[in-house]
Amino acid sequence: MKWSYIFKFAITGTLALSLAACGGGNGNTPNNSQGTNEPGVEGTANTPEKPKDVTITFQNIFPDPTDPKHIMMKTIVANYEAENPHVKIELDSLNTDQQKLKLKTQAASKEVPDITVVNPSAQMKPFVDAGLFAPLNDMVEENGLKDTFQEGILDWYTFDGNLYALPDGNNIGLVYYNKELFEQGGVEVPTTFEEMVEVVKTLKAKGIQPMAIGEKDTWTGSFLFMNVLLRTNGGPGFLQDVMDGKRTFEDPAFLEAVDSLQSLIQAGAFQEGATSFDYNAGGNLFNTGKAAMYYMGSWATGSIETSSVNGKIGVFKFPTVNGKGDPNEFMLAPGSAFAISANSDHLEETKKFLNYFMLNFPQEAFKVKGAVGIAQKVEGDFEAAGYSDMAMDVLAMFKDVKGGDLAFDNTMNPGTTQVHLTSIQNLFVQKKDAADVAKEHQTAYESNK
Amino acid sequence: MNVLRVSKLTITAFVLPCLLLYTCIVFIPIIVSLYSGLLDWNGIGESKFVGLQNFINLLTNDPVFWPSVRRTLMFAVFSMAEIPVALFVAILLNRFVKKPNFLVSSYFLPVILSVVIIGQLWKTIYNPASMGGMLNQLLDMVGLESLTRSWLTDPSVAMYSLYFVALWQYLGYHTLIQFTGIQNIPADIYEAARIDGAEGLKADWHITLPMNIPIIKISIVLAFIGSLQAFDMVMVMTGGGPAHATDVISTHMYNMSFLSMKYGYGSAIAAFLVVICLCATVIINFLFNRLERKYS
Repeated sequence: MKWSYIFKFAITGTLALSLAACGGGNGNTPNNSQGTNEPGVEGTANTPEKPKDVTITFQNIFPDPTDPKHIMMKTIVANYEAENPHVKIELDSLNTDQQKLKLKTQAASKEVPDITVVNPSAQMKPFVDAGLFAPLNDMVEENGLKDTFQEGILDWYTFDGNLYALPDGNNIGLVYYNKELFEQGGVEVPTTFEEMVEVVKTLKAKGIQPMAIGEKDTWTGSFLFMNVLLRTNGGPGFLQDVMDGKRTFEDPAFLEAVDSLQSLIQAGAFQEGATSFDYNAGGNLFNTGKAAMYYMGSWATGSIETSSVNGKIGVFKFPTVNGKGDPNEFMLAPGSAFAISANSDHLEETKKFLNYFMLNFPQEAFKVKGAVGIAQKVEGDFEAAGYSDMAMDVLAMFKDVKGGDLAFDNTMNPGTTQVHLTSIQNLFVQKKDAADVAKEHQTAYESNK
Repeated sequence: MNVLRVSKLTITAFVLPCLLLYTCIVFIPIIVSLYSGLLDWNGIGESKFVGLQNFINLLTNDPVFWPSVRRTLMFAVFSMAEIPVALFVAILLNRFVKKPNFLVSSYFLPVILSVVIIGQLWKTIYNPASMGGMLNQLLDMVGLESLTRSWLTDPSVAMYSLYFVALWQYLGYHTLIQFTGIQNIPADIYEAARIDGAEGLKADWHITLPMNIPIIKISIVLAFIGSLQAFDMVMVMTGGGPAHATDVISTHMYNMSFLSMKYGYGSAIAAFLVVICLCATVIINFLFNRLERKYS
């Protein structure tokens, strides 16, 4: 009897533990899959005279075989392998979110792939601080690679004078609008935020969905909010001021931004149930002609061009709010960037490949019509190459950029960012007092400092 | 133990490999997790030992944590409340349907579908009428316009909408388990009962229910642990939003570990989850052991 008791408890305990472990493991499971794509330790002793066989793991975020960027990547890789028979490039293509997660688990065990993808500024700082990436200062000078990049873009990837990653994109926030729906609604392109709210009301009254957003992915609303803040603040640098301790989130500029965004939401700008639409679903509303306006980064140009509304779309700069701000200041979105692992077993070979890859990036991207919003200078006649009028307008807009702000998550630490993202998402489901929103931000900032 | 006619060595030889594997993939991760819960660590860089600070913050100073615990426990309560229904369906199937296998299989169908598919399906059903949401259109048609709402984004109902989907999905699962249990009850017991004058519901109350208690226990444990771990469905349908309104313990843990990059804090939440699961299993077992003894 006694034995059976002990036995039962043991079984109970193990059952509970094993089942519980499944629950606790949700966050940890990717751990198990890590390292499967790690290359062998070949080519450790690399001598330039006698090239040994090398396998370079290239983690990237172009998994979709129909995506021009995927095709372009394959082309460059194939060319490089043909020119350097001793090098094999192993592609590890993942979705953005999967890649972020995988890299974090890999970083936790210091097994970063030879080449990986990171986001600029605050988002890549923890990795840099942990010493996971190799500085690329010398590599970027080779073959004149540095001069192919746009002025100032590399600063977002530079820490203490060391460059750690090379970006594939450089985008700005703008409003796309459907000319056909604007005509049906009898409205003009708004030149101020107040006009924009009126346009929303007019369209709404005529049964046209005014704007689309994918607010299940909380960064979309944050990106829009930050553009409003860029205006109410009369220029860039609000978050920097907060971090420097000069101002707090309870500043009037922040409160005004919250209220302005709410006025847009309360006017019925966004689709019903916006917080259950992810980025793709939100974009699709616009791309299928079901919404009249879409605030997004210029990276959306490509997907709009290949959608059914192509040819009916125009773009305009985000307008002034309450007469404040300059429409030529944009939300800046320096893109995801390629970094090299400091612990790579064949650092030199990897640097050589990435150098080649980035040198060929602009012209290959141009060929597949993916050259709007890349981080490098592109030679070539866009119009002759068949880029659409809208793409030309976006390109023209890039020339007007007079500075701006980065997205919230690229500026602040992740802890504060998460609170911010949820706080803004909340505005899409209920009206809040701006002071409460500000307080929420300030508390989060102070506890995550 | 002397009943066994095998040497201790043989027992060891057979048990050890499994035990080792089990230790490696279950116990060690739990211990590591507990240890990470004591660290201030972003999962990448240097970590700092902070003792119980994460746990103190978690229990006293986290506005999201306790509501998410409440939602998780509600989830568990709803899933367990479903089991009597499943048992009833199983009894009906067993008694009134000639060839019940087809029906049981069709009830079971949602269980074998991936949660992602289920999530997408119900997201479409719950959509606002303007986006073609089936539920809202149905309410419109029968004149209940006042009840229409965007089910997944209205914070006051979003969580209940999620509970419902989980219940819908797992009803077939528990029905199958109970149905198998009922079929294993010998028919002669019922015949004897009929002679004594117990038929229908009365027979169920006095025979099916007590004889099925071990099976009910399995269902209860599975339902409870399953709902504590509810993660994928919440992630697919709402991602814990809007504004934490549908966060459960596991999604909160995920957000903290991987989005807020507080790996140590996330591990503390995981440790808490392990403890709840342990306690719950012990309590459920204790209660059912008493019940079983009473009826056997």
